[in-house]
Amino acid sequence: MAVAIFLLIIVVGSVVFTFWSPWWFSEIASNWGGIDTTVLITFWVCGAVFVAIGVFMAYCTWKYRHREGARADYQPENARLEWWLTVITTIGVVAMLAPGLIVWDDYVNPPDEALEFEVLSQQWTWKFRFPGADGVLGTVDVANLSLDNPFGMREDDPAGEDDVLVNSAEVHLPIGQPFKVLLRSRDVLHDFFVPEFRAKMDSVPGMVTYFWFTPTKIGQYQIICAELCGMSHHTMRGWVHVDTEEDFAAWFANQPTWAEMRDGVTRKVYTALAQRGRQVAESSGCLACHTLDGTKVVGPTWQGLWGGEQTLADGSKVMVDEAYVIESVREPNAKVVEGFAPGTMITYGADVVSDDDLEALIAFLREDAAP
Amino acid sequence: MAQAEIPYQEAMPLHDPHSWVTKYWYSQDHKVIAVQYGITAMAVGLLALVLSWIMRLQIGWPGVFGIEPALYYQSFTMHGMIMVIYLLTAFLLGSFGNYLVPLMLGARDMVFPFVNMISYHVYLLSVIILLAGYFVPGGVTGAGWTLYPPQAILTGTPGADWGIASMLLSLAVFIVAFTMGGLNYVTTILQARTRGMTLMRMPLSIWGIFAATVLGLLAFPALFVSAVMMLLDNFVGTSFFMPAISSALEGGMAGGMIEGTDAYEGGSPLLFQHLFWFFGHPEVYIVALPAFGVVSDLISVHARKNIFGYRLMVWAIVAIGVLSFIVWAHHMYVAGMHPYFGFFFATTTLVIAVPTAIKVYNWTLTLWRANIRFTVPMLFAIAFVITFVVGGLTGLFLGNVIVDVPLSDTYFVVAHFHMVMGVAPILVIFGGIYHWYPKITGRMLNDTLGRLHFWFTFLGTYAIYFPMHYLGFVGVPRRYYDHGTTSAFYPESAQFLDKGISVAAFIVGAAQFLFIANLVVSYFRGKPAGDNPWEATSLEWRTPQTPPVHGNWGDKLPTVHRWAYDFSVPGAEQDFIPQDVPREGADGKPQEKGAVAS
Amino acid sequence: MASAAGHATIIRDWGSDVTTFKGVPWGKAMMWIFLLSDTFIFSCFLTAYMTVRTTTAEPWPNASEVFSLTVLGQSVPLLLIAIMTFDLITSSGTMAMAVNYGYRRDKKKAVRLILATAFFGFVFVSMQAFEWYKLISEGVRPFKNNWGAEQFGACFFMITGFHGLHVSAGVAYLLIIAHRVHKGKYDHTNYEIIEIVGLYWHFVDLVWVFIFAFFYLW
Repeated sequence: MAVAIFLLIIVVGSVVFTFWSPWWFSEIASNWGGIDTTVLITFWVCGAVFVAIGVFMAYCTWKYRHREGARADYQPENARLEWWLTVITTIGVVAMLAPGLIVWDDYVNPPDEALEFEVLSQQWTWKFRFPGADGVLGTVDVANLSLDNPFGMREDDPAGEDDVLVNSAEVHLPIGQPFKVLLRSRDVLHDFFVPEFRAKMDSVPGMVTYFWFTPTKIGQYQIICAELCGMSHHTMRGWVHVDTEEDFAAWFANQPTWAEMRDGVTRKVYTALAQRGRQVAESSGCLACHTLDGTKVVGPTWQGLWGGEQTLADGSKVMVDEAYVIESVREPNAKVVEGFAPGTMITYGADVVSDDDLEALIAFLREDAAP
Repeated sequence: MAQAEIPYQEAMPLHDPHSWVTKYWYSQDHKVIAVQYGITAMAVGLLALVLSWIMRLQIGWPGVFGIEPALYYQSFTMHGMIMVIYLLTAFLLGSFGNYLVPLMLGARDMVFPFVNMISYHVYLLSVIILLAGYFVPGGVTGAGWTLYPPQAILTGTPGADWGIASMLLSLAVFIVAFTMGGLNYVTTILQARTRGMTLMRMPLSIWGIFAATVLGLLAFPALFVSAVMMLLDNFVGTSFFMPAISSALEGGMAGGMIEGTDAYEGGSPLLFQHLFWFFGHPEVYIVALPAFGVVSDLISVHARKNIFGYRLMVWAIVAIGVLSFIVWAHHMYVAGMHPYFGFFFATTTLVIAVPTAIKVYNWTLTLWRANIRFTVPMLFAIAFVITFVVGGLTGLFLGNVIVDVPLSDTYFVVAHFHMVMGVAPILVIFGGIYHWYPKITGRMLNDTLGRLHFWFTFLGTYAIYFPMHYLGFVGVPRRYYDHGTTSAFYPESAQFLDKGISVAAFIVGAAQFLFIANLVVSYFRGKPAGDNPWEATSLEWRTPQTPPVHGNWGDKLPTVHRWAYDFSVPGAEQDFIPQDVPREGADGKPQEKGAVAS
Repeated sequence: MASAAGHATIIRDWGSDVTTFKGVPWGKAMMWIFLLSDTFIFSCFLTAYMTVRTTTAEPWPNASEVFSLTVLGQSVPLLLIAIMTFDLITSSGTMAMAVNYGYRRDKKKAVRLILATAFFGFVFVSMQAFEWYKLISEGVRPFKNNWGAEQFGACFFMITGFHGLHVSAGVAYLLIIAHRVHKGKYDHTNYEIIEIVGLYWHFVDLVWVFIFAFFYLW
């Protein structure tokens, strides 16, 4: 008895939960309404099967529960019934598969009018690159990647000169324009996913993957990484702003091209010591966890760090000076900044970062990270 | 039919134990080995349970319990790998397989008892190597149970040097153990059945174990090969899976261990994924098929009715087994492989739904006009069917390539695979233990504790995983240490739901200790069971002694005269006729219908 | 409907009681199943190798230049490999003869032929060691070489190494079996144990043919 009742409760409860719970797709902001339709078809077919089987089992467990003197039927098989069930199942499967494949065909074939842009993913942030006036993205080489060349542009490819580089995790797109998104990774697997667009694709180091979509609703949408990419996977966020044509054009005009970035239009000039410190920060792996632009990843950002105050985990405050920086490198767990976990950073002894290097690093912080 | 000679079978030499050590530790008796496998798997499963609590603490109340990212990542990695390999595979094949194959087939033991013994000890070694990961510098790996490179062996991931090494080494050793056991199961099933035990008279448990073992023997090689290659990538500096990457986190072990290794270059991360899932998808069925088989037998025995459509059930197992080798890339729809693979793999994946659905229909149709005894094993069997239905149907979402696009890597996936290959097979394991414990120990498990355990487990797991699907629709990504509080994809209501799921998880976990207590207490105090407490028909209930002694059958092997499902035969005196009862002894007339090959 | 009847007969024979494969000893059945599993290991290795080779950006080193020996001042491509292949195929021949003499209960000849097989196996492994030594001294490493894609060395050492381990294990297996046959441990049987070890040996030989084709001729 209890079994039949609980089976019924589960079936009814699941249906009620589906209709009354607040959890469902967010409002769609791209052209992929076809995906939602396919999900719904699948949902209704599967839901009907679930209810049918659940109710049938509840009935059987109630009706055919053991009674004194009762005996079960002896019925090894019923070829006709099995044949019918197979046919009906096959029809249900086709009903789900066929629309799915049609939409998939659309998903993997970008339209001719689609423009391209590139998403460069790295631990643990996003960057974007648009082809310039020539409409062609310049070729890149992973060996060229550095602080001064964040996209690894090749010097010998003129097509790259006018590429527009967005060296931050926020990108703007014009509404109504189809885009073919090219995905590239500089280190591990990532996945560009905006829930409101429904579309996603992994980026894989060593190859370029793609998908396409058309933004259809003005607003800003969070980008999340949907493929485990290490310690700070959950912090790997960004934003897509879907703008009107005019707003997009205004934003786009403000972004530097590769030629401008390379020729120092946007580049800061450092003293020789600070320049060396900058290289130390890059080659020792500091910048994997500490950003220079204020983004919070694994460790505290370095933007505005120098000369300011840091609040520690125990609530006390500390002045960021030479002594503090040295201690934080040599004994990272001595003072842990509020909001960060102790034990995250490894200890950098003098065998990894020498005292000279540390001095250079401090010079870099002084010049770059002052508020 | 002429009685075949069984020269090897009858005269099989048995190494009887001479001391405690050879009886319980270095035993060649398949029944002892089965219990060894079972206890080890359950022990390591308890660790996985604790790990899941750590995860749910962090997800329900981020940051409150001081769980660091590394611990969180390591916990879900180890939880996944332990559950899939070291608990489910080891339990369903190592324990059920070992116990049931010789007994249900009427054999004295596995064909090579010595190899069988070694198999357990190598499995134990693999568990020790796995757990040794907790004591190496950097701790165990936190790369997720899928272990995707490049991330798995770069320092941005916890345990990227020695932790991943212990994991990969442990897997390789496990595969050796599995191969030794698996060769035994397959050879025993093919070549050492008793007289009259034709393939189409075998209980479905044996069919499930047989198909799963064959899948394992053919699928584990891919995991073995990828483990070898990743170890080389990490320690020797090869670049099988490692493309040229630019990461401050590059380096790992290779740089330090061998002079002159240069940077990684030219490898293919997708190659690993293909190899991994060529193993990984059949692995799903390595877990599912024995569960299918066992649950068929449980339902039939406790519903006092023959399993409906035995022949189709067998063919469905075989078809699922074959198809499972050509669906692997449905785990990789958004992994960046050639998009046209999507068409092929979506089709094969949805085709596999047909034989799977047939199995579900036949389980439910077995209940039709049955005479159902709601024993604890039966409760678990019914819970399995409804859980599996949910898990199987959500599989149709993820298998249909375009539907997978918004749902992959979200909590929908987590809910789906926990339902279909986590909870469902574990319900069968529980059902199987309640069912066969009387045969193993000679005592019944406590019924009240069993029912309590059942209701907490069944309703609790449903409460955990059913709502979790809807988090996936919202777009909540899996494997996030902290979802943040301001995200559009993680509204306040979702945080509330996560807390509720966590509470349910703690209750379900705690209920498992009722089960453990039941196992221990009933061993000493349980009601004596007798030879055949469930009035079942298959051969394991027909041993001269309970528990069966070494060699199982006394002087003469049993002879089989009928299939394993002669329940409620019209005209028969009792509502069950064991397999070794001669035809004329019961109803006197040959069966006209049914899957009984004569 | 002869074919339908034949089909039914096959199913009946297969599914009949006690044994599926009539007259096949347990050990032989087990070895066949093991070899099936091992086939998948080598298939995965070779498939991985082919994938890596076709996806890597750098050019693949030219096999006939890399695997050449300089004899009398002249570079002969694939000379060593040809000898190794010949050696291994010869060992398969002696193995087959050993099986045959075993079934004829000619223990002495069988043992001698098993020992000969083991000897050829040992020669093969020795030549392989020489080849490794030659390549290593030419600067080939698992992570680099002087001619192109670094995966060349990785695949080469991994796959030939894994095969070499199989051959070495086979030599040890052969020696043990030869010893036990000589001691008379199998006198009460049909000596099918020789056929079982023979199956393994032929398999290792067959795998070599594939490695030869995919590695040296491609």
